[in-house]
Amino acid sequence: MSFNIFEAFKYRRKKTFIHSLDPRTKLALALGVSALSIIFTELIVLLIIFLSLVPLLLIAKSIKEWTSTVKGLTLLIVFILFVNIIFNGLSFAISMVLRIFSLITAFSLFFLTVHPDELSQALIQMKIPFSFAFAMSMAIRYVPTIANEAQTIREAQMSRGLELEKGGFTQRIKNFIPIIIPLIVSSIRRAISIAESLESRGFGAYPNRTYLLPLKMRKRDYTVLITLLAAIIISVIIKFVVGLPPLLLLSIPF
Amino acid sequence: MIEVIDLSYTYPDGTTALRDVSLKISDGELVAIMGPNGAGKTTLVKHFNGLLKPSKGKVLVDGVSTDKMTVAELSRKVGFVFQNADHQLFAETVEKEIEFTLKNLGFQENLEELKVKALEEFDLLKYREKSPFSLSGGERKRVALASVLCANPKTIILDEPTAGQDIIQKNNLLELIRRFNSEGKTIVIVSHDIEFIVDLNPRIIVLVSGRVLCDGSVQHVLTNKSILEYSSLTPAQITEFAWRLCEEWTPLPRNIVTVDQLLAALKEHIIGGGL
Repeated sequence: MSFNIFEAFKYRRKKTFIHSLDPRTKLALALGVSALSIIFTELIVLLIIFLSLVPLLLIAKSIKEWTSTVKGLTLLIVFILFVNIIFNGLSFAISMVLRIFSLITAFSLFFLTVHPDELSQALIQMKIPFSFAFAMSMAIRYVPTIANEAQTIREAQMSRGLELEKGGFTQRIKNFIPIIIPLIVSSIRRAISIAESLESRGFGAYPNRTYLLPLKMRKRDYTVLITLLAAIIISVIIKFVVGLPPLLLLSIPF
Repeated sequence: MIEVIDLSYTYPDGTTALRDVSLKISDGELVAIMGPNGAGKTTLVKHFNGLLKPSKGKVLVDGVSTDKMTVAELSRKVGFVFQNADHQLFAETVEKEIEFTLKNLGFQENLEELKVKALEEFDLLKYREKSPFSLSGGERKRVALASVLCANPKTIILDEPTAGQDIIQKNNLLELIRRFNSEGKTIVIVSHDIEFIVDLNPRIIVLVSGRVLCDGSVQHVLTNKSILEYSSLTPAQITEFAWRLCEEWTPLPRNIVTVDQLLAALKEHIIGGGL
């Protein structure tokens, strides 16, 4: 098993238009695009949604990271494709794959361009209590650490003769027990020691704390937000009031 | 026997950890691999049981290339004990922890015998029914050691065995390593712990930036000022003391690493009329 999926969701410091946007704008963008791709089930519409995300990836210079995310999720994508072909036909199956692509793209764009600290700052300024926001950014911060640890544990157990690819389906799932248990135990141990070290550094000592870099929305943020809002409104009107034009209803005939 | 021939290794993220490393470890040798963090020590030993496969070059274990063998196959010959015991322990009891390895490696008829032997060897018989998680740090380390060494591998790799261990545990380890080595096992230790290494007196291979900087005895390597500086190692306290005596008092040999050597040198010096 590869842990590259986590690696591909990790923030990279780059100087691009997307990176310079306020994290709240990018959160709205990710949620907005996700909402759109869930509202629609039509092949052509989902294709348009996905294709409109590609330029954003290009602007954010994140194509390479995105590709490795998709590679890491190949198994899931193939699974979705086959299950849907069997139960709902090819056209719907492809739509669902496009939907999952749009969701992956929207969120990897978010996580690749938003620093975990910015994220917690954004949540705090959205009036989410500091301890929740902090827990959220800690969770993201520790994904790569835990992925690394999982890799070390895997190697340690392989050195004791563990073969993950051995046996039938249930055996293969059982093979992961010697990896999962040490991972959980050491994560709990780490969580306890982080909590202690936070307390010893005055975490939660005063109800109000100050912030080093308050976030500010800029003109470009409003531009992006207005565009997004317009796209959502138009889509909702077309879908629920006007009805989709025949061109957008085209599908693969089997 | 382990032969490393022109080994280079580059991680998938593009960092090259080893560059053209060649060395040979004979049966029954006691070897320490030293060097600063990021020098490639762990990367090198991970090639010995096939956890990593060479990007370039070859690693031969008993004449067979590790390319052609799985980690499980190699683990019968080469036992690898990881630094953190908590990365290995998962079973309900200490006993099951040891059974796990033995079953994986295909021991059947003599499983019970090997298990009891390992429990005895690591003084764990009284804990056999206990959960490994309920034991102390030092005891968990012993369970981790037992869970690898129960399979009786010919070569033993210990990655930072003294990290986080108290002096009693270190002395136990020292004794254990000496005993296994005297029984003819090949032992490879990755360590930063100068005093521990001096006590063990192994052959030392120093790695710096993925290359072998030098390869020799404790006396040769750990008393050479330029090697020590280049590899960010500090001399043993006794060596440093002997050097200070030389600088500030009277000429003494510069290759002293143990208390006994210093004592002998001082006696000779005093009786010899230096004072």
